[in-house]
Order: sequence, then structure tokens, then C-alpha cells
Amino acid sequence: MNCEWVLQNITLYVYDELPDDARHEVEQHLNRCPDCTAELQSMREFKEVASSLPQLEVTPNLLASVRMDLQEALEGVEQTSGWRRMFFDPFAWLRQAQFSPALAAVLLIAGFGGGIGAMYTMGPKVVNNTDRPIPTDTTHASIASIKNIKQDANGQVQIQYDRTMPDRAEGSLNDQDIQDLLLVAARDNVNSGVRMDSIDLLKNKQDDGRIRETLIFALRYDTNPGVRLKALEGLGSQVKSDIRVRNAVLEALLNDNNPAVRSGALHALEAVKSDTSVRAALQQLAKDDPNQYIRSESQRVVATLPRFD
Amino acid sequence: MGQRGFENTSRKGSMVGQSQSRINDAELIRGAQRGDRAAFEELVRQYDQAVLRLALHLTGSEQDARDVYQDAFLKAYRNLGSFRFECSFYTWIYRIVTNLCLDHLRKRQVRKEDAPVVVDSDGEEYSIIDQVADDRSGASPERDLMRRELGARIARALTKLTPRERMVFEMKHYQGLKLRTIGEALNTTEETAKNTLFRATQKLRAALADVR
Repeated sequence: MNCEWVLQNITLYVYDELPDDARHEVEQHLNRCPDCTAELQSMREFKEVASSLPQLEVTPNLLASVRMDLQEALEGVEQTSGWRRMFFDPFAWLRQAQFSPALAAVLLIAGFGGGIGAMYTMGPKVVNNTDRPIPTDTTHASIASIKNIKQDANGQVQIQYDRTMPDRAEGSLNDQDIQDLLLVAARDNVNSGVRMDSIDLLKNKQDDGRIRETLIFALRYDTNPGVRLKALEGLGSQVKSDIRVRNAVLEALLNDNNPAVRSGALHALEAVKSDTSVRAALQQLAKDDPNQYIRSESQRVVATLPRFD
Repeated sequence: MGQRGFENTSRKGSMVGQSQSRINDAELIRGAQRGDRAAFEELVRQYDQAVLRLALHLTGSEQDARDVYQDAFLKAYRNLGSFRFECSFYTWIYRIVTNLCLDHLRKRQVRKEDAPVVVDSDGEEYSIIDQVADDRSGASPERDLMRRELGARIARALTKLTPRERMVFEMKHYQGLKLRTIGEALNTTEETAKNTLFRATQKLRAALADVR
């Protein structure tokens, strides 16, 4: 423990940014070193001076006023168009699917064959036509969502809804269309088997930014542990180079309720064990994690960490 | 000013609570992405005080802070569709606000004719050029003058920083954010944020060396 090291870290020390062990070493050194203690004092005085800068405070009036202005401004902002809404949460379609006799319908056909985003409308808009027969192929599966229900003065009910049609795409893993479909499948499908299959294929392409985001999403939020494990397999190699991956894997280690996912995360993080947050997490787990395997593995990795000199 | 003691909260406990609020955020975000304005407004309410405080302190002007606030949340609303949960919403919002603040700082650098202004605790703005004692303040005019001059010195020292240095110092010293968060907000690493903080504090200490 030398003065040079301490002086370099004095700033981090006064701003509480040192990990526990480093902070302890600094304090031990300060107990014996008047020069470094003087430097600490000088740094603290600087902090006090900087803090004496008079500043405007957020008053309740100001807050209320900016919120109102924002509300007004939001009225004028363009709403995301209908198809985009569907893209971001196609799962909502399935939740809202209901069968109702429709007297008016807007038909929207989603064709994935041309890639996500190729949407077109078709068919006439029929309004208030009670003689129109109920479409015979209207089933639970093909009604996507009910968009609007209105009743006019005569008691006529008008319902606008969307329908989907099944379609199929074939190609290689490098095809944009196939990738787009896999990305949708990974996030929003009710069927965990479908999600698992798509992640299984996507995990080999984690160098693509969008695909990596989807893998991170699956690791963080998928309800099925098998899917999360698959996503982790794809992300493991990226913990060194991508901070977002590292954070997501670290969270999985700390918060996931499945021990297999947690231990997978731990092994993936070994490659970056000297990262300050990873190090701190491992030290904590080594001390008191309820799972014995995690505890002993953490201890093993912590033991290989370089000591502060 | 004493050293703040290290909080002894269990790291896991606080992260579990955090992941719970993340899930709630996820619901609100998904709702907002579907066009539910009430969900978006609820989301805004969770973060807007902190955003406003940052903008207010950084710009030193209520009007500029209002602009930054408005721009930030409108941008968030417009771009919510491209948020794919790859980071926390907190980080995402802070990234937007930080970029807007950086733009503001860069614009201000260019406008050389604007002398830096400081606002005192009465809410009065004054330019550092103005050295005339104001007898409006009451109790001790000498102390008020000293305080103002000090405030002016600090404000002037802050303008010597580059926009990024100013941003990092602002977020660390005045807003108390962790360097890791600051790195994420600036779309860089914690290491870079650390080095930027070092440079900023060195510059400021040099500029304020004779104070006190």
C-alpha cells in the first residue's frame, strides 16, 4: 500500500466509489500517513466549496407546471401508427382475442413473407350493414384484436377488429426475414417451446446487435428457465466486450430463481471476475448465499482474484 | 463535513426490490408502447423530479430546465417504440437527458457573449460581471457579498470544464449518481467516467485553489 496508489484513489474515496476492501486499505493507510491525510483534507474542503454553489430548487409549483406543459405537448405528438403498435406487442392480440359478431370490419392482413413491416390493408370498409352475413371463417384464432366498439343513436353496434391469416417462411439463418421472425418468436410467443427453439437458433448469431438485445431480454424476462439458460449460452462469450451483457448476466446471478441459470451466469462471469461490481457480488455470495453450490463456486472464484497490494 | 458511512444494506435484498420495480416498469412501458398515455404519464412521474433537478442545476435557468425536461420526455415518448428492455428504463431516460444537457452545454460554450450567470438562494439571477453589492439581501451584506462572489467563482470554474467533464462532475457531485450509472448514461464505460471525474476535479481544484 503506497502513497501513490492512495493519492490516485482519493477522489474515488471521497465520492464513495471504492469497493469495500480498497476503502479499508485506504483508511488503514491514512491512519499512518500524514501527507495523504492532508491531501484527503484538501479534497474534502474542495467538496465543501463545490457544494456551496447556490442552486435553484425544484418547487412543487414548478413540477406541476412542467408536467402540465408536457401533457399538453403530448397531445400534439404523433401517435405510433397501428401496425407499429401490433409489432411491439403481438402477444396482446392473443390476450384480447374474442369472438363477436361484427357488423363492420376493417380487414388487416399481416404478411410476414415480405419481412416484418410489410403490411397492407385490403377489403372494403363496411358500415352499418345488417344484411352482411357473419364471415364463416371467423374463429378464435384468426381474430387478432378488437379495436373499437361503438353504438349509434339507433342502437346499431359497430365493431372494428383486426384479423390475421396464417403464413409460412422458409430460408437460412442468414436471411433477414427469418431473423426477423425468430426475433418476434423469441419475445412474444405464448408457447415456451417456440421461444426456446427460436433462442436456440438465435444464440449462434449474438454478434448482431438486435439479436443480442433479444437474448438479453430473454435472459432477464423470460418466464421459462430453459429459455433463459439458452439465452445465457448465447451471451456468455460477450460478457467481456459488452457491458450490457455483463450487467444482465450479473443480475441473473443475483436474482434468478433457478439455480442452473445462476450457476451458468457465475461461470460466464469468471472471465470478467476483476470487474468491480462482479467482484463485489462474488464476495457477497461467497459469504452468505443460501445455495451451497453457488456459495462454494463463488468462494473458489474469489480465491483466484488478485489481492490489492 | 464527515465521511458518509457505507450503507450496510444487503446487496441482494436491494436488488430483489429493484427487480420488482423493474417488472412494474416493464408493464407500464409495454402499456405506453401500445399507446396508453396514462401509462406513459405514470412512468414519467417516477423519474421526472430527478430529471428536472438535474436540468435545473446544470443550466442554472428555470426556462432552460423546462425546455430540457420537455424535450427529454417528448423524445422518450416518440422513441419508446425502440426501447427493447436491453437496459433499465432509468438508464435509458438518463441517457436521453444527458445528451440533451450536453447539447445545451455545447451551445452555451459557443455563445461567448453570454457571461455565466449564477442564481442565489433568493432566486435572483446576476452576472458575475456585476460586482456591486446588493443591499436587498438583509442580515449581513458583507457575508452575502462573499457568498455571491464565491458562487461566482465556482460557476466560473465550472465553465472551464468540457461539457462531458461538467456532466460527469454534475452527476457525481451534485446528483450523487454512481460512476457506473454515469458511464451508462454517457454511453461509455465506468472506467472512462472515472477518468473524466479525475480530470474535472483536478481542473476545479486548481481553479478554486485559493478559495478559503
